[in-house]
Amino acid sequence: MKRLLIALVAASVLPAAAQFGGLGNLLNKGVETVKKVQEANKEFSTEDEIQLGNGITASVLGASKLHPDQNLQRYVNRVGKWVAMHSERAELPWSFGVIDTETINAFAMPGGTVIVSSGLVRQLASESELAGVLAHEIAHVVRKHQLSAIQSSMNSDILAGIGKEAAGQAIGRRGGDAFGLKSAAAGAGVEAAKNGLFLRPLDRGMEYDADRMAIVLAARSGYDPYGLVSVLQLLAQVKGDGGGASIFDTHPAAADRIGELEKSMPAIVDRLPAAMPQLEARFRQTVK
Amino acid sequence: MKTSLLAISLLVLALAAGAQEQAFTNRATDLKANPDGATVKALPENTAVKVLQRAGGWTRVDAGGQAGWVRVFHLRFPAVAESGSTSSGANALSGLGSALGFGRQKSQNTTIATTGIRGLSAEEMKNASPDAAALQKLQSYRADNAAAERFAREGKLNPQKVSYAEERR
Repeated sequence: MKRLLIALVAASVLPAAAQFGGLGNLLNKGVETVKKVQEANKEFSTEDEIQLGNGITASVLGASKLHPDQNLQRYVNRVGKWVAMHSERAELPWSFGVIDTETINAFAMPGGTVIVSSGLVRQLASESELAGVLAHEIAHVVRKHQLSAIQSSMNSDILAGIGKEAAGQAIGRRGGDAFGLKSAAAGAGVEAAKNGLFLRPLDRGMEYDADRMAIVLAARSGYDPYGLVSVLQLLAQVKGDGGGASIFDTHPAAADRIGELEKSMPAIVDRLPAAMPQLEARFRQTVK
Repeated sequence: MKTSLLAISLLVLALAAGAQEQAFTNRATDLKANPDGATVKALPENTAVKVLQRAGGWTRVDAGGQAGWVRVFHLRFPAVAESGSTSSGANALSGLGSALGFGRQKSQNTTIATTGIRGLSAEEMKNASPDAAALQKLQSYRADNAAAERFAREGKLNPQKVSYAEERR
């Protein structure tokens, strides 16, 4: 009786596998995809990190357009590249982009792409302030803050969802294969963006860390290192600091960040020249 | 005609540079004739000042009609958008408020992403389809090392040797 049951079960299972060969292939493909993403997740090579960032950037640009002013784009790239050249990851293919939105906004993608909003750029008063903002984002990339945040969320949020390869292929169709966006890493970036992984606030410690590093990077690049402090003072006025009214209330308040910098800056700026360039005039020539 | 045009552009420049920024001392501090110079007068905590200029770790302010320099970290900047005050500082920033997307997401009062975070909503990202052509365009604006170095020379930016002071916590 027992044996018969086993035979029956076997008979019903085996033909099923044969019958649904197509589904089996599909499942195998899914498993492969997961494996690929898992591999990428486990140990991101620099190339994977860049591809992941490209996937996220492409998605961000799908939601928010680039600002049409090419001079502005080139200007921001020169400031950013100069600062990034003084970082520990100077060799990354650093790209900077201004998106056309009035929202105050700046964020970094793994692999060296930094996006700022025209709304933020327009509120700034000098090139040293812009350098401070970009340096903060560059510091996040150098420290791989976003990468590790995305990686730690990926297992649950992305691997569970599969479909990464499909997302990659969708971009491939739309924009050609020029960027290798079909790679598992870029597909994971698209998926990460869709799931809003990069929208999540980073750890407060990471933000303070990036602020402190930004001061160093701006100073190394020859800018007045207090540029970022002015920007934070500007944000304090705008944001209703500490009021908790913002949906970004998980982010350290500008006043707290200024307080942290007051503690760490003296040691950093100790031996710097008293007056370093702010380059207000050059900034005003480009940002109108 | 020419003079009035000049006056207007100067006014715009002054506003753009945040010349009307209102700040308060966040502790008792000194108003100095020059950065690190002689003390002009002592300012108690919560003295209202107008920001005139910034230079390194010092801010030039107008403190009740007297100009001088105060340490950057000795100033606090109140949240103009929430104060609802009618001071000149608030007026100067009312344009700022509208430029910051307050109108767009009024229900949340302020939904400003600060440096290092994001203003794109989760909803916007969910519905976005990746734009590879825009990515390519963004990357076409990249500066190479030579361009960045030339740009730095033009700005008289002199690289400095500075190390991280991260061990001190």
